[in-house]
Amino acid sequence: MRKKQMLSLLMLITGVALLVAATTVGVASSATQKASKSGVVKGGTLKLNENSEDFDFVDPQLAYRTDDWSMLYTTSMQLVAYPEKTGAAGSQLYPEAATAFPTVSKDGKTYTFHIRSGLKFSDGSTVTAASFARAFQRILSPKMGSPLGVNLGLQDMIVGGDAFLNGKTQTLSGVIAKGNTLTVKLTKPNATFVSIMSMQWFTAVKSNMPYSSSGLNVYPAAGPYYIASRDPGRSTVLKRNPYYKGDRPANPDEIVFTPNVNVDQSLLQVKAGQSDLDIAGVPPTAAADLGKTYGVNKSRFYVGATSCVDYMGMNTVRAPFNNVAVRKAANWAIDRPAQVRLLGKYAGKRTDQILVPGVPGYKPFNIYALKGADVAKAKAVGGAAIASAPTLNVVHTTSSYSTQRAQVAEYNLQQAGFKTNDVPTPATNYYQVIQTKGTSYNFVTNGGWCADYFDPYDYLNVLFDGRSIQAANNNNYTYFNAAGFNKGLDAASALSGAARAKAYAKLDYDLMANYAPVVPYLVATNRYFTSARVKNWIYSSYFGSPYFNALSVG
Amino acid sequence: MTQFLIRRIFWAIFLFFVATIITYLIFWVIPADPAALAAGKAATPADVARVRHFLHLDDPIWRQYLRFLWNLVGHQSLGRSFVNRQSVNHTIGQDAPVTASLVFGGAIFWLSLSIPVGILSALRPRSILDRVSMTFVLIGISAHPVWIGLLLSYFIGFRLHLTPIAGYCNFFTGSPGAQCGGPVQWAYHMILPWITFMILFAALYVRLVRASVMETMAEDYVRTARAKGASQSRVMIQHVLRNSLLPVVTILGMDLGLALGGAIFTETIFNLPGLGQQVITAYNFDDLPMITGIVVFATICVIIFNLIVDITYGFLDPRIRPS
Repeated sequence: MRKKQMLSLLMLITGVALLVAATTVGVASSATQKASKSGVVKGGTLKLNENSEDFDFVDPQLAYRTDDWSMLYTTSMQLVAYPEKTGAAGSQLYPEAATAFPTVSKDGKTYTFHIRSGLKFSDGSTVTAASFARAFQRILSPKMGSPLGVNLGLQDMIVGGDAFLNGKTQTLSGVIAKGNTLTVKLTKPNATFVSIMSMQWFTAVKSNMPYSSSGLNVYPAAGPYYIASRDPGRSTVLKRNPYYKGDRPANPDEIVFTPNVNVDQSLLQVKAGQSDLDIAGVPPTAAADLGKTYGVNKSRFYVGATSCVDYMGMNTVRAPFNNVAVRKAANWAIDRPAQVRLLGKYAGKRTDQILVPGVPGYKPFNIYALKGADVAKAKAVGGAAIASAPTLNVVHTTSSYSTQRAQVAEYNLQQAGFKTNDVPTPATNYYQVIQTKGTSYNFVTNGGWCADYFDPYDYLNVLFDGRSIQAANNNNYTYFNAAGFNKGLDAASALSGAARAKAYAKLDYDLMANYAPVVPYLVATNRYFTSARVKNWIYSSYFGSPYFNALSVG
Repeated sequence: MTQFLIRRIFWAIFLFFVATIITYLIFWVIPADPAALAAGKAATPADVARVRHFLHLDDPIWRQYLRFLWNLVGHQSLGRSFVNRQSVNHTIGQDAPVTASLVFGGAIFWLSLSIPVGILSALRPRSILDRVSMTFVLIGISAHPVWIGLLLSYFIGFRLHLTPIAGYCNFFTGSPGAQCGGPVQWAYHMILPWITFMILFAALYVRLVRASVMETMAEDYVRTARAKGASQSRVMIQHVLRNSLLPVVTILGMDLGLALGGAIFTETIFNLPGLGQQVITAYNFDDLPMITGIVVFATICVIIFNLIVDITYGFLDPRIRPS
């Protein structure tokens, strides 16, 4: 009995001691700060939350998600990159590690980059052409188990890529590094190749960076920062690369990412200054209040466009949407403002086209009803085909927002005279359902696209070239295939400069005016709220986030 | 005792097989394709097939299960996550202490509150204390932990600045990338999660203790003890509490075992990188190795705590002590 009493007493004392200690400590903070001429303060720790999941990979040759890339950009040194500039200037490629844009052979199949001298990794070693060649090898090596780079058909794009991927050769013959000269041989001309090089997969890595199917978490990097430590699911810490001598900003001493934070708690933490920013944005319901309190893009509340276009898709090989008039009718029937309102204030800009602002070839137009559903017009355009249309299988995922979106869309379609059958589908299965050729869906409400690289090819060719339709996993899940349009895509993709932009602008219009396989409704924005100490906000439409290396926490 | 333990171990092995086979079967029945998810957008069928082979998903389900068993028994490995390819052993080893911090800390809180309040309520039924505690019970059972957690962190963390709003610090300092650490910071960050976790369970346990004590107090042997002139404290401690705590121990063992498999709501609200948060992420991405790993861990926890309950029973009640 005495032992039990002693144990109880001990537990009581321990509990009380922990409580007292816990309530008497505060959150420690420290920062060494140096004011620069521009008023931007260097130093301190930038604390970033992620209310989404953690990065899946931080190994540049495995990472593919948008949040992965916006983080990796701070550590990356690429042949070509987008500058830390706001607006249109931020979507113009510039040669970063390369001395200039590559020279291209007359047949358009050989690209030669010259690497600037003096570039160094965070461990002091030198960046050479071999650093970039290694990136290609790591993307395509079977030892990486990498499924990612091959999505672009990289193995078919690079000479020797397929043999290397399938383990038939140990060297990637199409990528040759000699000193500071990198030569890449393509199997056929590709006008988007330079844009593709802006993807984070192609960042410089040490030429002996090992293959790892689980990905490396910590490795030397040649950009303004490097990953100093990573604890998956808990934190990722970036530190300034002491050997980086380039022009890109590197304001905080340290950048700390904390994942899996509840979105509401994250907002409170930022308000309280316990965190500086949530890189996945604010709760949709908080946007209106934040905008009212702080103004938009004035001080702590920022709204920025993304490269993403949201649309609803119609299965163009099944009745009734194999009839272009019915597809146009659906475009008139959908209430775009209502869809945007579901996402809260400042959620984005209504649209009825695929290309988004900032992408070469974007030219705003207005074919369908941007101000609300036009039921009369929908009925007039669809005519008798609507009345005789079979019941539409409307597929959507099961999240609350997706369900609401589908409910509004189905209401709109019913107003126009369609009959609908609601088909909620779990997110893990959703794309498998809609992306498999021969699917029984008619109308999907969860659809959209964000750019891998800022080129119209990555929207129009990738999404609507009917010749790319395969048995499963189709990005073109409207199964749209029009010979005339495909021909236009081929012609536009072979062009460059202003002629290319003009050709894609025409295709963008042509797609919606004459074929209408989708109902585009939103160019999404991201909404961010920062702590009071965050300055120097420079936003990237490509990543859909601020440049973390530019933020100042003085 | 040896026979009892051997029987228990066989039960544990049987339970382990049942739990893992069911997990595999459920995963197999779900019409999702982790290979397609991992291969990403626009992967060709050849790409998806390559990923499927890499993840061994092209094998029949029974072979996948046997591989899982072989890796577990032969290499003590639960495999690698489909999503980020990290070792499941490492992830569970890292996350389990966080969940354990929450569960055991919360248990100390809820037992410290519910046992005395439950006893006092039972001693003075329909008194003010009893009515107040029953109101607390009603609120605790009715209110969702997410709501309670959000309220606590808003008022105590955000408005009063008494605690962090969310976040976790390791008990031991020095882990890579950790921004804080040590027992004091650990406890400081755990206060609100403990309270949140406590409220639901304390409500249930107050009711349980109250009912159990009232029932025991009506027993003949308690009346006999009183008739023999035993003091109130002696009657309560020696006769009433000892017997009325039996159901509490049973439920506690079950609750601790289950909660160690992941206290999903509390971990999510307070950004505690524990098993609950991990299982949600794994579920979202159809990450079978991670889900199976956590199921295995939870099963082991339930088995161990059941065993502890059985042994504790023997000490509390000699009539059911294993011979």
